[in-house]
Amino acid sequence: MKFRIFRSAEDQTGAGPVDPTETPRMGGQVLPEVTPSKARAGAEPRLEDATPVSNATVVDSPPVGPIKIAARDVSVFYEGKQALYDVSLDIPDKTVTALIGPSGCGKSTFLRTMNRMNDTIAGAKVTGRIAMDDEDINDRSIDPVLLRARVGMVFQRPNPFPKSIYENVAYGPKIHGLVSSKAEMDDVVEKALKRAGLWEEVADRLQSSAMGLSGGQQQRLVIARAIAVNPEVILMDEPCSALDPIATARIEELIDELRERFCIVIVTHSMAQAARVSQRTAFFHMGRLVETGDTEDIFQNPRERRTLDYITGRFG
Amino acid sequence: MIWIYLLILIALSAAAFLGGRELARRRAIGAKPHSRPGQHGAYALIWVAAPALLVLILASVFSAPLQRQLTAVGTPDAVAALEHFRRDAFFADAHRVGRGEPALQIWERPLAEHLPVEARRMVRIERTLSWGGGIAAILAAILGGLFALTQIKPQTRARNRVEGWIYGALFVCSAIAVLTTLGIIASLAFDSFRFFQKVPILDFLFGTQWSPQIAIRADQVGSSGAFGAVPLFAGTLLIMVIAMCVAAPIGLFSAIYLSEYAGRTTRAVIKPLLEILAGVPTVVYGFFAALTVGPLLRVFFNEIGLFLIGGPLDGLGQYLALVQNQMALTAGAVMGIMLIPFVSSLSDDILNAVPQSLRDGSFAMGATKSETVKRVLLPAALPGIAGALLLAVSRAIGETMIVTMAAGLAANLTFNPLDTVTTVTVQIVTLLTGDQEFNSAKTLSAFGLGLTLFLVTLVLNIIAHRIVQTYREQYD
Repeated sequence: MKFRIFRSAEDQTGAGPVDPTETPRMGGQVLPEVTPSKARAGAEPRLEDATPVSNATVVDSPPVGPIKIAARDVSVFYEGKQALYDVSLDIPDKTVTALIGPSGCGKSTFLRTMNRMNDTIAGAKVTGRIAMDDEDINDRSIDPVLLRARVGMVFQRPNPFPKSIYENVAYGPKIHGLVSSKAEMDDVVEKALKRAGLWEEVADRLQSSAMGLSGGQQQRLVIARAIAVNPEVILMDEPCSALDPIATARIEELIDELRERFCIVIVTHSMAQAARVSQRTAFFHMGRLVETGDTEDIFQNPRERRTLDYITGRFG
Repeated sequence: MIWIYLLILIALSAAAFLGGRELARRRAIGAKPHSRPGQHGAYALIWVAAPALLVLILASVFSAPLQRQLTAVGTPDAVAALEHFRRDAFFADAHRVGRGEPALQIWERPLAEHLPVEARRMVRIERTLSWGGGIAAILAAILGGLFALTQIKPQTRARNRVEGWIYGALFVCSAIAVLTTLGIIASLAFDSFRFFQKVPILDFLFGTQWSPQIAIRADQVGSSGAFGAVPLFAGTLLIMVIAMCVAAPIGLFSAIYLSEYAGRTTRAVIKPLLEILAGVPTVVYGFFAALTVGPLLRVFFNEIGLFLIGGPLDGLGQYLALVQNQMALTAGAVMGIMLIPFVSSLSDDILNAVPQSLRDGSFAMGATKSETVKRVLLPAALPGIAGALLLAVSRAIGETMIVTMAAGLAANLTFNPLDTVTTVTVQIVTLLTGDQEFNSAKTLSAFGLGLTLFLVTLVLNIIAHRIVQTYREQYD
């Protein structure tokens, strides 16, 4: 796999009307139909595969790529208190889907249902069906441990383990037995770090502690750790909220690159960020999914009053 | 009597507070006062209470010697001519007679006549001193109060002055703790110095023979008076190692269970139970060791020994058949049980201090609970756990009661857990209990042992706290 830190010129032209000097890089300009990743994936939009969303309260325009994760009527309860109400959402593959909404609206809760992280919270209960590749992830036969190897997660605050940089990236491959030799491991670590755009900064100090990296570097290290096990989906829970603008820009570029290989779901508080990095957006409010659609549509022609109020900063 | 004075003082202080507050309020009218009325009240209270308390303390400290002086001045010649301790006995009896109790002994002719006279005089002196002290205290309170009243002005910085007094009082309290510790060290060092004048320090630290009995007669057997502390420290070390072999794994694993695996209800039951176990007095563990564990282990090893006698392992059988109740293993095992709650409670706190985000990170990578514990939590918490274990070690070294009851007294230089060994603390106890002559090397050796033990545990504690501290800084 060819590695690029910055997007190449070829990509810029391939992405059609993207010209940073002409218009701000809004999410709508990199629609899935025209992105090279889409073309490379070679998959036809399988609209007919997706079960139509039946929830009448949700204003929806169907996604355009093959569906990776289909959530139907997902509700989450924390000790009997309902945090999420009947969310039905389709998440396309090789696309960045942004979950936006005010604090406490359930977007992080929904994110955590997709790798069953809610299992680790005592008293949490999830109902409804979440299908990944047409397979119910809440099914008894699915081991959450194996599921989490397929669905990586990046958290709000960088949480590298207090080990060396190398050990951090090697963690996943080690526990899942993905490699058989030291040389292979070196290779996996190098690849993951390169893909996360961190290799050049840390190549000469792989054995030093990860705690010595800056916040932005730590977050990229955590992303490298997540992609080292070759997941299919990467969940990001406000990955930039603890970072400065430069580190944020760096992570956003990275997300844009990773979109070619992974299905990415990102929770963000920043509407500008959602607009910059995502192709699909879902707006949550008070534990309910209010509106979902292409990012461009959501930000330019929201169909719901609440969405308009939120993205124009009237509440949230 | 002193209680009445204290009550009066409390009443005066309260009056000073209320009066000072009211006065401050009145004097502040029309001016912009620096401090609030309540602070003026507190300032007046301090000036009433502090001098009076000082006088009371001085009075109670100096009244006894003063009383002795005053009694001595008017003593009749017959009494003054008595020997020192006879005179003390006479005054003690005079004191009793003065209180209306019968004298303890029958005094001969001239003294018997002096006795009631002296008794009356002593009562008079005592009463005068008592009244004098109380009145002086109340006078001091009134003077202090008058001074405070002159100070209540709008521009007085009562707020800052009260703060200064509080600072001073708090400082004195903490200084007392530190000074006491220094005093203990100084007394230990002083007596140890006397010991090391009799026994060379190198003989003490590196000698392998310990028998503190010194011969009274020249022909006495086995009372050579050897002061080599090595067997004691070896015994302490052996018991400590056995105890840690029990406490470290069990304590650590129960901490891991509590912090990572146990549900909320289980935790709510087990954690307090463990803490109760930590509160059991060590003398109870001592019973348990001496009366339950010791005999059980002895029977167990004796049976094995009897089984082996006559077989190919006859020698071992002979040895095991003669194992006694008091062995290092008993004391070590029970001490280990005693340390389990200590280790598990500390380790549990340390594991809980590892941020949840690390657990989430590991779980999100698809790690199981045990993988997370082994690869993330334990490495992250390792320095803290090492510190906790070191604290447990220093407790094991200093532990006295269990070893006194279960380890034995014979100072054997051995690392066989089935042997009787003795520890530093046990020897200190046996050397200092009962009637002892405080000038012999035997008794003084206890101070040498105490000082050495103190230094060892001090160093261990310093290291442990350092480690725990560096660990804490890691996540802050």
